[in-house]
Amino acid sequence: MLQPKRTKFRKAFKGRIHGTSKAGVELSFGQYGLKALEPDRVTARQIEAARRALTRHMKRAGRVWIRVYPDVPVSKKPIEVRMGKGKGTPEFWVCRVKPGRIMFEVDGIPLQVAKEALGLAAAKLSIKTRFIERIAE
Amino acid sequence: MATVRELKAAARPKSGKGAARADRRAGRVPGVIYGDNKPPIGVSFDHAEIHQRIYAGRFLTTIYDIVLDGKKHRVIPRDFQLDPVKDLPVHVDFMRLGEGATIRVNIPVRVIGAESSPGVKRGGAVNIVEHTIAVRVRADQIPESIEVDVSDLDINHSRHLSDITLPAGLQVLEAGDATLVTIVPPSGYAEELKAAADAVAAAAATAAAATAAAAAVPKGAPGATPAPDAAKAGDAKAAPAKK
Repeated sequence: MLQPKRTKFRKAFKGRIHGTSKAGVELSFGQYGLKALEPDRVTARQIEAARRALTRHMKRAGRVWIRVYPDVPVSKKPIEVRMGKGKGTPEFWVCRVKPGRIMFEVDGIPLQVAKEALGLAAAKLSIKTRFIERIAE
Repeated sequence: MATVRELKAAARPKSGKGAARADRRAGRVPGVIYGDNKPPIGVSFDHAEIHQRIYAGRFLTTIYDIVLDGKKHRVIPRDFQLDPVKDLPVHVDFMRLGEGATIRVNIPVRVIGAESSPGVKRGGAVNIVEHTIAVRVRADQIPESIEVDVSDLDINHSRHLSDITLPAGLQVLEAGDATLVTIVPPSGYAEELKAAADAVAAAAATAAAATAAAAAVPKGAPGATPAPDAAKAGDAKAAPAKK
């Protein structure tokens, strides 16, 4: 699963996701992609599950680019522990995704296969997404 | 070479985000015409028409005659903004073209011969590294695309800018010898190569060991490997008769 090798601080604020994505809203590498339509925190597990679904459906053909990276640690308190006594321990990593963000890009496969593969990948994510295609040049 | 298409526009007297939003609410896309040492003109276009033109392709390399108040303006689209979520056009920039103007434009790269490429046949994927090439060219000589032939490319091989023949009249503005297209290996290709290399190495090691063993033990010595015939005779003697 994706996670940073080292970080400046162990724990991060929860934060809020406002507005639409400013960067990463256009296809940069591949012919097809998956665009986020909702704001949410996408976990490293979800990204990995989507990547596996994508590559398995593509059957070793083509290429995949992951355009999001889970670099925000999320902490949790153990069960049956009272509030207070400091912030919990980091449990997993997430990526804050804004609407409009391209999450995955693929290339080297036919349109139909790309649609099916990205549809399977979208089913692993917690947000609504849309299949997009590069504007013909 | 460049074809000229016509596009109808309406004047947009007020500028600023309020006026632009009012135009968008009215089903129009705000835009601007600038350049050629003349003052900029605010214009607006029909949303459906500009959307169709953008998504039809080759929008930024096509020359347009914008009909505004009965007067034609020869322009080229320089930029278009899309809504980040809905991908609908939000704004369009056009640059005026003077007589015999030479402009900088990004020409799209078109890959040909991918089906016959040995790399693709072995499972590799065509990876377009540079989707466009920046060139300086006369406005009436803009090519539709620059073709890159990959029919003889194998996996991990690339086609660079210096490998292709460009149409006449183009001055390339890219720095250095840019990589245009590569054939990337499929996933698991590295492991496959490693496994094949390991198998070859193991076979070679076994063969070498057998040769060394044969050379170390002299023929006929005790413990020497019996000849195939002897072995067969021994087996026949050793095997109990089944009766």
